[in-house]
Amino acid sequence: MQDGTSARQEIALRTGGRGRRPDSARLRRLNILVGALSLPLFVGLWELVSRSGAVNMVLFPPPTVVAAAVLEWIRSGQFLGDLLASLFRVTTGFIVGGVLGILLGILTGQFPVMSSLLSPLFHILRPIPPIAFVPIVILWFGLSEAGKLFLVVWGVFFTVWLSTHIGVQKVDRGLIRAALMLGTPRRQMLQEIVLLGALPYIVVGLRTAVSISFYTLVAAELAGTFAGIVYRIEIAQQNLQTGQVMGGLAALGLVSFIADRLFSALAERTVWWR
Amino acid sequence: MKLALASSPASVESAPKQPAIQVSNLSIVFDSNRGQTIAVDRVSFDVAPGEFVCIAGPSGCGKSTLLNTIAGLEVPFEGDILVEGSRVYSPRPDVGMVFQQPHLFPWKSVRRNIAHGPRMLGKSRTEANAIADDLIAMVGLKRFADAYPNTLSGGMQQRVAIARALANQPRVLLMDEPFGALDAQTRAVMQDNLLELRDRIKATIVFVTHDIDEAIVLADRVLIMSAGPGRILREVAVKLPRPRSSYVMVEPTYLSLKKDCLDVIRAEGLRAFNQSDAS
Ligand SMILES: Nc1ncnc2c1ncn2[C@@H]1O[C@H](COP(=O)(O)OP(=O)(O)O)[C@@H](O)[C@H]1O
Ligand SMILES: [Mg+2]
Repeated sequence: MQDGTSARQEIALRTGGRGRRPDSARLRRLNILVGALSLPLFVGLWELVSRSGAVNMVLFPPPTVVAAAVLEWIRSGQFLGDLLASLFRVTTGFIVGGVLGILLGILTGQFPVMSSLLSPLFHILRPIPPIAFVPIVILWFGLSEAGKLFLVVWGVFFTVWLSTHIGVQKVDRGLIRAALMLGTPRRQMLQEIVLLGALPYIVVGLRTAVSISFYTLVAAELAGTFAGIVYRIEIAQQNLQTGQVMGGLAALGLVSFIADRLFSALAERTVWWR
Repeated sequence: MKLALASSPASVESAPKQPAIQVSNLSIVFDSNRGQTIAVDRVSFDVAPGEFVCIAGPSGCGKSTLLNTIAGLEVPFEGDILVEGSRVYSPRPDVGMVFQQPHLFPWKSVRRNIAHGPRMLGKSRTEANAIADDLIAMVGLKRFADAYPNTLSGGMQQRVAIARALANQPRVLLMDEPFGALDAQTRAVMQDNLLELRDRIKATIVFVTHDIDEAIVLADRVLIMSAGPGRILREVAVKLPRPRSSYVMVEPTYLSLKKDCLDVIRAEGLRAFNQSDAS
């Protein structure tokens, strides 16, 4: 339904002036223009408001001050260290949590006994926000890197586990019957049918887990560390370097945006038959 | 024909006139929380080697259950089923199946879908692809060999499913309303395709349908089933000449056969109606 409508709209847009809706081409051009202006307008307004004297410039620095702080951050060499520390936590946590989630998801999805054993436990643990584990993680791991990893893994694992579990369970029984009739041995069913059938679900779970790994990164770095983007934000806050705080936020936003885009590009290729 | 068969070829040679399928006193009962459903009730019939038998009956009368059981997909059951002389316990490669839904592997191209069976039976990729390409040509899908199922129409998907089922060179081909989800025009084309195919392959075919016309056009023999519990009411031999096409529908012999079938179905309908009226 939705696809049909959007396709029709697109045709109307492409045929533009000659189509039945002569305004749509102009409307589209206007939208692109407004879209391109959105950020500059916002930044300009911010600069004006900050410098107008209506607000406290220390607490609400203009973009130029933020940019200067970011440049200084990069030049001092701290930025690279912070970026690498954060990326390392996110990627290792994502990979470990993702692999565990997929493995256990296949186990619980495929074998009812495993599901009876583990699903109740997972369903109780899953809704607890990972941030709530910060205090106990500090008790268990102190300020070590293992504690940071634990938090990210925790956040990623449940999302990936659940989507894999559901994906495996939703594999079309008809495909399995068809495969059986073609001589597929039952022990090969997992690799031939189940994994591929569940793949679209697994990919969606992993994609959700990308943003979750960044949420949990924040909690992990606030729990105390010595490098990282969120760590830098916290230090800057303690020194009332608001420009640096905002620069850190922008950096975090940009990094997680890029990670999400990269992953979705990758995901589209993973489910190659769509 | 280089057929590697699961059942021993020796037994087939020593008893050449043995039926391809023997169903005797088959009953299948489903237990559910609302009690028992007798899906198939003491059904017996034989199918000769190379014969094309259609099982026709209203939906819900147990046709799919019957066919799945012959395929080895439905256990347990009461009674006895012999395919090519040996008992059925589980799916076996000399029995092929085409379902109402194509159930193609969405992640495999048309060629890979068809090559799947031979691959599973241990053929090399090259051998399997060669088998697939032959069948692709046979069902007229050469242009779509590398296409993925979701880009094909329903009719084309079902042709791939038929080719896929034939790739293991089954002795017996079971078809469960394979054209049931297609529009009338496509369906007529598919019936003609199947009639043509059938003259080239040597498989015994059991074809299930709720459409009495389809049954008569295709079959050598039509078994008419009744609903709840599923029983076989009557056998109608279809003595229409082969090679055949859906054009037989305009012949007088066809009409008299159809009348025979409709009489049976009507009598059964009246009986069921009176019974429900009385209770
Ligand atoms: N797995 C099952 N569990 C319980 N009842 C079933 C099951 N499969 C089929 N049935 C019942 O068996 C009867 C025959 O079903 P089916 O073989 O699908 O009929 P048909 O293919 O002729 O439409 C129906 O009443 C159906 O509800
Ligand atoms: Mg059915």
